[in-house]
Amino acid sequence: MLLVHDVLDKQLTDRHGVRMGKADGLVMLQEGDGPPRVVSIEVGSLTLARRLGRRLGRWATALARRWGGKHTESYRIPWTLVRGITLEIAVDVDAEATRVNVVEDWLRVHVVEHLPGGRP
Amino acid sequence: MTTGEVHLELLLGRLVRDSDGRPVGRIEEIEAERVDLLCLVKEFHLGPHALGERLAVPVLHAFGRARKPLRVPWDLLDFSDPAHPRLTCPRDRIR
Amino acid sequence: MSRLIEIALGIVTGIGGFLEAGSLATAAQAGSEFRYDLIWAVIVGAVCLAFLVEMSGRLSAISKHTIPDALRERFGIRFFAVALIIMELVMFMVMATELGGVAIALEFASGVSYRWWALPVGFVAWILLWKGTFGLIEKGVSVLGLITLAFVVGAIHLHPPLAEVARGAVPRLPAHDHARYWFLAVSILGASISPYLFAFYSAGAVEDKWDVSHLTINRITAGFGMGFGGIVAIGALILAAIVLHPLDVQVDSFAQLPLLLTSAFGRVGFALFVCSLAIACFGAAQEIALTAAYMLAQGLGWRWSENLPPAEDARFSLAYTILIPLAAVPAAAGVDILKLTNISMVLSAASLPVIVAPLLILMNDRRYVRDYGNGWFSNTVVALITALAFVLAVVSFPLLIKGGG
Repeated sequence: MLLVHDVLDKQLTDRHGVRMGKADGLVMLQEGDGPPRVVSIEVGSLTLARRLGRRLGRWATALARRWGGKHTESYRIPWTLVRGITLEIAVDVDAEATRVNVVEDWLRVHVVEHLPGGRP
Repeated sequence: MTTGEVHLELLLGRLVRDSDGRPVGRIEEIEAERVDLLCLVKEFHLGPHALGERLAVPVLHAFGRARKPLRVPWDLLDFSDPAHPRLTCPRDRIR
Repeated sequence: MSRLIEIALGIVTGIGGFLEAGSLATAAQAGSEFRYDLIWAVIVGAVCLAFLVEMSGRLSAISKHTIPDALRERFGIRFFAVALIIMELVMFMVMATELGGVAIALEFASGVSYRWWALPVGFVAWILLWKGTFGLIEKGVSVLGLITLAFVVGAIHLHPPLAEVARGAVPRLPAHDHARYWFLAVSILGASISPYLFAFYSAGAVEDKWDVSHLTINRITAGFGMGFGGIVAIGALILAAIVLHPLDVQVDSFAQLPLLLTSAFGRVGFALFVCSLAIACFGAAQEIALTAAYMLAQGLGWRWSENLPPAEDARFSLAYTILIPLAAVPAAAGVDILKLTNISMVLSAASLPVIVAPLLILMNDRRYVRDYGNGWFSNTVVALITALAFVLAVVSFPLLIKGGG
């Protein structure tokens, strides 16, 4: 398996087949003498910003510290929850129960529902 | 060797130098193996051919131009400074 | 039966969706300055468009992924970020042009300056996207867009010299004003092969839940739809050659364009022109606003669908909510819409490589297209179009400076 070709940047789907963002980052951990392991997939614009440049990354980090509440880092999906890897990566989580959509939800409550016809 | 957490997405495009400080190539692809619920990193693919491998496999193959990238086994790379990955041996030992 | 309706609708989409401010203005400029000599550029544009649209639809029908999805997934965030910035800039310019086009049509109809119409038009466009569904917008734009067939009827009505028209279908060197000739050729190609269309069309295939069984409809829509669409642009070019060329006017404002249809239809022609311009530009503006939001949402992994209520995909809906009023600003500020049109068509042509070149790889990637990948013929065609796209990108800016005046 090629991590860049097959995993990084690919579409994630949750256990109900719902799209839940792209694999924005991959965290590798090396302990002891064994080979390094990929331990989690990161989803979040902070991870993306860091990939686009050091300055953008620092700027996004500062922004997250200021406005992100208690979540100042991207959401991580443990690798052990990865199921199938095809064109999409199926992970065994419930997207609704995670915080991948915090920005989405915040904008709904604070902006969209205040616009005419924004309340469903 | 314990180096803690490394962000793989930030390693892409990083120039690897060998034990004598000579440039070897940029990391473009990482090969891993899924063993049960684990994902073990095996090799790092370096250089322009690794980029070709990642981007244009079918097209290059169609023209018979796909060449093998430099492959570095995981135990020969030191990530204690992720911004400057180093080969733990001279570059002539890699093919 | 429902298949027949879908096919008919596909063709209607092509015809009704082809003409917009850019293709109309560039065709009229070409006809008035070079008579039939640039018909070949419209044909080349329509043929390239047909091939690329077919591929975009096929990619999405098979993979259920859109072009922006694939650009991100296959080429990584860095390439996608570059493509995104270029595309959003171009789409902003073209959308400003289209909103300006609607505003000018309303000025013709009401006598009130287009500057006052830009923001209200933007507001109506937003409301329709906010409350409407993909099907409503797609079908509405296409069916109403059939009114642009008036250009074809008008052209036939004025009995163009067929031998000369046929000769124009073959590319040749101009007798005068080389820079202007090639500038218009590039503008026409930029107006026909609009990069946003591929992203829009591929998102449409996913919105309409296409699968393998839609490949035939896809091929027919692309081939006939874009073919007939090209004929509408040729109609406008021929009208300009017959009506404007003898008067020796160089088209330097939209105000000269109603002449195209009044010469053929008299007073009714004026109304037909106003309606054609308003509808065609309005439709294009809606498609572009959606595409701008699709690009962002799909590439960055947000929830998206024009069929969801805005509360369900807040980021996607807010993307077009912010973009539309911004794009109405140039027209509201009184920018010359024809100049804006020419600049955006050239930028459009210049941006083509970022979306066309990746198709060469994507349409051969079995993970996306499985057994429905490109054969050697389609691959040769995309390779040629990619080469053309790079040439256009390189020559567009020098030509804009030398021939844009």
